[in-house]
Amino acid sequence: MAKPVCLTFAASALVLAGCQTSHSHRAGGQATPTTAAGAGQKGGSQLWAENCIRCHNVRSPSSYNDAEWDVAMHHMRVRASLTAQEHKAILEFLKSAN
Amino acid sequence: MRAVTTAGLLTLALVGSTGLAQQAAAPDKYVTREEHEKVLKELEAIKARLKVAEEKTPAAAKETEQALDEMDKELKSVKSLATSVLPGSTKQLLTGYAFAGYTDRKGEKSNFEAGFNPILLWKLSDRLFFEGELELELSRNAEGGGETEVELEYANLSYIASDYATVQAGKFLAPFGTFAQRLHPAWINKLPDFPLPFGHDGIAPNSEIGFQISGGAPVGPTKFNYAAYVSNGPRLNTGMDEPEEAGMLHFDNNVDISNNKALGTRVGFLPIPQLELGYSFQYAKIGEDVDASAYLHGVDLGYVRDSQLLKGALDLRGQWVWSTVDDLTYDPTGALGFGPLSFDNKRDGGYVQLAYRPAKVNQPFIKNLEAVGRWDTLNRPDDAPMGVDEQRWTVGLNYWFSPSTVVKAAYQFGDRSDRMNGQQDVNAFLVQAAFGF
Repeated sequence: MAKPVCLTFAASALVLAGCQTSHSHRAGGQATPTTAAGAGQKGGSQLWAENCIRCHNVRSPSSYNDAEWDVAMHHMRVRASLTAQEHKAILEFLKSAN
Repeated sequence: MRAVTTAGLLTLALVGSTGLAQQAAAPDKYVTREEHEKVLKELEAIKARLKVAEEKTPAAAKETEQALDEMDKELKSVKSLATSVLPGSTKQLLTGYAFAGYTDRKGEKSNFEAGFNPILLWKLSDRLFFEGELELELSRNAEGGGETEVELEYANLSYIASDYATVQAGKFLAPFGTFAQRLHPAWINKLPDFPLPFGHDGIAPNSEIGFQISGGAPVGPTKFNYAAYVSNGPRLNTGMDEPEEAGMLHFDNNVDISNNKALGTRVGFLPIPQLELGYSFQYAKIGEDVDASAYLHGVDLGYVRDSQLLKGALDLRGQWVWSTVDDLTYDPTGALGFGPLSFDNKRDGGYVQLAYRPAKVNQPFIKNLEAVGRWDTLNRPDDAPMGVDEQRWTVGLNYWFSPSTVVKAAYQFGDRSDRMNGQQDVNAFLVQAAFGF
């Protein structure tokens, strides 16, 4: 049982990664992200959208005030394994868009 | 003074011009050539000054606009500072979720249910953080009466040790796969119930009590995340308390039954931001009076794609868990009434779930709908007292009132099978309303 399941997971991952790559190439110079690179190359809004939607719907920046986002983002940094740079960029975006 | 001079010169110019114009009509009033040219020169000078003043006007407006912007920023900063000193918003945040549901399953009594999970977040400093969640749910007690169940879902203190590492101590959600740690809250879970391996009598841990280090780091164009922990781990039911559950692992090991601790880890890899692949492992010595170990491992996959091309968001999840417990003889003397019993104690189970929400369609009602489909299964040892194999197909339709408020309706085609009773249908109709705050 273990081997077929492992193979299915691996094959699914390869197919999904392949689909993503080919689509990104078609997208040409558009802002479609093609890598999982960190905050150094991405803005706070992009990191916010990419990381939040991985688990749940994206909440509006106006859901919390700046002080509340400060606390909530600390929680999410731990829960979503965000790096310090990602955490800082997303928090700055949320405060600016709040 | 300058203004007075300018006004005087203007008057002179006007008088001069008028005079020139009236020369023909009033031949007795003459202006000399010198006077005429002097007035013209002064007129030119006034025009030049007016032009300079006109040019200065847009620059002054721009300066005013900048000053207003700065005032606006200052005002926002003061507002934020004022808000930050209000109780409950400086360092603490009360968040959480609540739900109400209804389940009508074949072979069981239909039931309404409700739950409330308040979460307290407390930022003690830029590095130190506390999070705690209570789970309040209605349940039936052993005597068949109703009661309110209170569970400490998690309570831990975390310390950010570096850009890529956070240390946690206390009770934390188990980083075994992603369902328990990230996807189980009712406003996040896309169906009203849990997949079989993570539900009641499941085979994967939902939380751990101990110490954990976790974090994430970019590696070139990809990203890794990790978690490693030492915890009380699970305990083995040897049949002493509940003979029908002999051989099962219980993960609510609040007070450890031995000095042996569990070791666990999960590593996640994101080759692209939308795709995450994970591998989890846990090893634990189990049992108070038996020498046995448990090995758990699992794989997980998450792919979330939100695009214009799809006119919405596609959400694909999959997890599989394997559990192996060393061979033992349960109730060796037969004193418990079901032994001696030995079996190959291997279990496995998992789920695959696909959801689609046409969030980018320009139709307010349609864009809030979400279709969900899930297959989940759990296989137990045939010779175990509760050697039931289960599998289910669930289809659901959700309506999102806001990003964290949803009503879910689902129908489940399920069956259970064991040696004693054969195969039984356990189809169910489930409804749930959930709200994250």
